[in-house]
Amino acid sequence: MIHYLLYVDPGSGSYLVQLIVAGVLGVAMFFKNIKLYIKSLFHRSPKKPKDNPPA
Amino acid sequence: MSTAAFTHPSSYRDPSGFIFEKEGVLYRQVNKIFKEDFDSFIQSGLYEHLVEKGLLISHQVVPGNLTGSPDHYLTLLPEKIAFISYAYEWSSAMFRDAALLTLQLVKEAVSFGLILKDATPYNIQWYKGKLTFIDSLSFEKYNETEPWIAYRQFCESFLGPLLLMHYSKMPLQQLQLAYPDGIPLAIIKSLLPKRSRFSLYTYLHIHLHAGIAAKKNNAAKNKAAFSKHKLLNLVNSLESLVKQLKLPQLQSAWSEYYEEAAQRDDYLEGKRAVINNWVNQLNDIKTVVDLGANEGKFSELLAAKNIDITAVDADPLCIDNLYRKIKSSGIKKIQPLIIDLAHPSPSIGVNNEERDSFSKRCKADLTLALALIHHLAIGKNIPFEKIAGFFSKIGPMLIIEFIPRQDNKIQMMLNSKKDIYAGYNEQNFLAAFEKNFTIIERKEINTTNRILFLMKKKL
Repeated sequence: MIHYLLYVDPGSGSYLVQLIVAGVLGVAMFFKNIKLYIKSLFHRSPKKPKDNPPA
Repeated sequence: MSTAAFTHPSSYRDPSGFIFEKEGVLYRQVNKIFKEDFDSFIQSGLYEHLVEKGLLISHQVVPGNLTGSPDHYLTLLPEKIAFISYAYEWSSAMFRDAALLTLQLVKEAVSFGLILKDATPYNIQWYKGKLTFIDSLSFEKYNETEPWIAYRQFCESFLGPLLLMHYSKMPLQQLQLAYPDGIPLAIIKSLLPKRSRFSLYTYLHIHLHAGIAAKKNNAAKNKAAFSKHKLLNLVNSLESLVKQLKLPQLQSAWSEYYEEAAQRDDYLEGKRAVINNWVNQLNDIKTVVDLGANEGKFSELLAAKNIDITAVDADPLCIDNLYRKIKSSGIKKIQPLIIDLAHPSPSIGVNNEERDSFSKRCKADLTLALALIHHLAIGKNIPFEKIAGFFSKIGPMLIIEFIPRQDNKIQMMLNSKKDIYAGYNEQNFLAAFEKNFTIIERKEINTTNRILFLMKKKL
């Protein structure tokens, strides 16, 4: 059964769900950040020569 | 007692305060129980910040206890909303924007040390050309170890209906009439296609959520601490999911109406000139309801005259297009709504008093009913008397277009159905309307046989 007691209880189950979802999202973010970091390594290198005026 | 204060029938859920009416003015009372939270809402600067950004309507603090209630802490006088509307009358793009506004409010609130304690579309109304949050009692102090109390409500009230529209590619606004407190997770889950499980965020927020919520007694035992970082991750994932949804954009029957109508002689120009002339003659027109507005060409004409317009049409795509146009061009005077006049929104909620029916809310100085009468009288078999009766309750003035039988639009309609409309003629139309209205002027639109009438309601 579904109970609507929003001012009393965050909804039975939604507390646990948020813990799990936040956990999964944390892991997803961790890998996403690694991906972005690796990408940034490759993207940064071609830019470097532009920063320095050609000798 | 004319000075009595009446509590608004929709304002009973939240003990923090309530809306009441006194001498025709709507106020909001803040109760003592909510004093600390409300004070921090104001003192943190969140209130001012949200009003400045146009995300929340402003209020004034009124001195005195107008209700005489012992729970009274403060009385607020919020800005007046011109025309109350509900989520089941919004187009899908409007509904998505309401969801994004809710998530933005959570993030803004958290940065000020508060949080949004409920996530319902009924806290959002059309104000100054966009959807704006209206409930200044929805913000409470944020405890970083707690998750978002309105998470489930958000998933059921906003995310679920949006996902159903995304996967079915159908405008499903009407579903919210059946589930005004949000569509239960189990129902959303069962209506979504299996492939929706392969979207990580949809899986987490709906499928997993529904599965765990269905199990009993797991709430109290798991009290592991939450954090602000986790909360923001949660809200950001909801935001990115809502933003990427592809909402229905059907090729609807009427979306090419103007392009086609524009080709018909100078029909639109002639009509525009007559209406413009009449509205200029009428003084004191501040509000207009444009029934059968289509994509709002005539609403736009009046918006330029600084009149507040409610543009309604039964076609969700027309209203969606009108909303997108309003949003991109910054027209502030038109509120678009999906209303089928053959089935206008009913009164719903506790004692059928919480949300008023469309007919009860629909009040305006002037009613526009252009190229509409044949859809009601022939398309829906509604007798002229019933149509005239409804229009007469809206307000004092009416501009209505009569489309004669020989018009090819009507001939097209009659091709596909049995002609039981022998009584559809100008004479019967006028006989029905003259019971409620006085005809002030009759004007044929040049080169067509369509006729515009300016009518005034009989006192």
